[in-house]
Amino acid sequence: MASIEIANARKSYGAVHVLHGIDLAIADGEFIVLVGPSGCGKSTLLRMIAGLEDITSGDIRIGDDIVNDLQPRDRDIAMVFQSYALYPHMTVAQNMSYALTLRKTAKERIAESLAGVSEILGLNALLDRRPKALSGGQRQRVAMGRAIVRKPRAFLFDEPLSNLDARLREQMRTEIRKLHRRLNATSVYVTHDQIEAMTMADRIVAMHDGIIQQVGTPIEIYDHPANIFVASFIGSPAMNFLHGTCIKTDTTSAIRFADGHILPVAPRPGLYAGQEITLGARPEHVAIAAPETPGALPARVDLIEPMGLSTLIHVTLAGHELKIFTMDRPAFAIDSTIHIAFDIDKTHIFDRNSELRLPPVIKAPEETTKETSGANGT
Amino acid sequence: MVGSPVTLLADAGKRPVARRGVLSRKWSGILEPYLYVSPAIILIVAVMLMPLVLGLSYAFRDIRILNPFSGGFIGLAHFQTLMQDSAFFQALLNTAWWTFGSLLFQFSLGLILALLLNRHFVGRRLVQALVFLPWAVPTFLSGLNWAWLFNPVVGPLPHWFTALGIMDSPFNILSDPDLAMWGPIVANIWFGIPFFAITLLAALQSIPSDLYEAAAIDGATTRQQFFSITLPFLAPTIAITLMLRTIWIANFADLIVVMTNGGPADSTQIVASYIFTQAFRRLDFGYASAIAAVLLVLLLAYALSVIALRRAMSHSS
Repeated sequence: MASIEIANARKSYGAVHVLHGIDLAIADGEFIVLVGPSGCGKSTLLRMIAGLEDITSGDIRIGDDIVNDLQPRDRDIAMVFQSYALYPHMTVAQNMSYALTLRKTAKERIAESLAGVSEILGLNALLDRRPKALSGGQRQRVAMGRAIVRKPRAFLFDEPLSNLDARLREQMRTEIRKLHRRLNATSVYVTHDQIEAMTMADRIVAMHDGIIQQVGTPIEIYDHPANIFVASFIGSPAMNFLHGTCIKTDTTSAIRFADGHILPVAPRPGLYAGQEITLGARPEHVAIAAPETPGALPARVDLIEPMGLSTLIHVTLAGHELKIFTMDRPAFAIDSTIHIAFDIDKTHIFDRNSELRLPPVIKAPEETTKETSGANGT
Repeated sequence: MVGSPVTLLADAGKRPVARRGVLSRKWSGILEPYLYVSPAIILIVAVMLMPLVLGLSYAFRDIRILNPFSGGFIGLAHFQTLMQDSAFFQALLNTAWWTFGSLLFQFSLGLILALLLNRHFVGRRLVQALVFLPWAVPTFLSGLNWAWLFNPVVGPLPHWFTALGIMDSPFNILSDPDLAMWGPIVANIWFGIPFFAITLLAALQSIPSDLYEAAAIDGATTRQQFFSITLPFLAPTIAITLMLRTIWIANFADLIVVMTNGGPADSTQIVASYIFTQAFRRLDFGYASAIAAVLLVLLLAYALSVIALRRAMSHSS
């Protein structure tokens, strides 16, 4: 196992710049998830670590070696592909032992590793089958097995679960996580699924347009998103955003929406009167309130989505569509007016122009360190 | 508004319920499917089965076009003659030489060309189209051209060979019984490479690129990738094209007839051209049919053995 260090790595195809200077340090044994919408450059970055794409400029270091000019086979890494890329003419056992055979590993050693890995992954009964005769989940397992058997310095995963159905994906998620705990292997995992990112990562790297937006633990990223992109991308149901203008007195700040409603917000440095700002509130930080509650605003009910455990209420407030998450089972009529209140301490304020989050005045000392480390990604 | 005429029309369209008997309905049920396939069956019988049976029947009859008294049934006499016919056995040997000599080079050069064309380079589409050209030239024109190329009076090749020290002095290899076969073989290689290049290229392009990436990460060198991914993927295409081409080349006498006409001294006579000579030069259709029947049996045996081999291979692996 080894650490991976990426320093100012760039990638361009002619005049098209895909990655704009990526800096990332991955610790030995860490499980890193690169997450972002398609086209954000996350797969390109992974393929650059693997050696399948050239690095236009910058350095990639695996362990102590700069691997920029090394062939994939000389980097001692293993990769699990989205399509699994199993060799169709080889059996499961041949697929898994191919890398070891190429290294001229002794037959007994190969058999030993193969037995161990197929035991871990539950592939014992399938060793003589061809990939054609396997289900999607089994193929996925073989692809994992092929990676594990080699004991590489790092594992790279390129959206390995996206071809599986929802239930199987959930199951494999936990399995990969358990496997990681067992092998303690440095892993870089690419996905566009923020739930995979949240549930699996030691640290999430949120990417957009070839730039790292934020690096942090799942909870840091969820609670303290660096900008509107990260806030909107992470979390399901997604964060609500309300645009408005900042109004300010000496001691208080508030946001005024287009329809004239005013909502007080916690004061924070960098907030000035007249500033175009966006209020961000996660659905669970918006609550249904009695009309007389201070700060309660009227909203129109558009849709109610019962999800069993919880209910998602879609409302319209000041021309913005909002989602409210509640564990209750309210029985509102569609188009009726209800009152909603925001948990002001947990809402976020973003500058509309820079799209950056304006961190609140530090109240609790334990928040300090996380705050700064989380928001420096851009 | 339009109610009544519509009803009338609908009634008019209905036919009385069929009053056919049970027996005739049963018969039509049995015959119906055959009726549907009959055009294909009639076509196959008329253009394939009948000529085949007729041709095979000639092998057992004495049919000489210029002899009005011929046409009688003579049993296995033609085959007995054939067993004593040294020219036939020489032609059989030449066929093997011609077929496998052409095939080996067509295939290996075609494969190399396909691998080259599978790489990305500027003007690749144009080159792919150009590569197909020899296949588009009428064979008898190719044959004439190659015959001229080998002719020291009009062609450059003998002079080039002399300059390179391969020949002592420019001469026509087509008139040397030891070398004559190489003339048509070279022409055939030139003619047949595109077929392999294009079919193998199509097969190459169907190999998913992430398999090569997976192999590269697994530690395979380019050569190992070729043997563990490219070749296994090409194997079915290689098997089927080799089999097809073997049969086509074995029957392919055009170039030989045009370039050497089987000579000098029957040194380039293959079975197909020998049949041509017997039938259309000596007008002995009976004997020619007997040779054709033997060739048919040999090629059938070859095709069956290749198919069996392939089946055995795919089962064992």
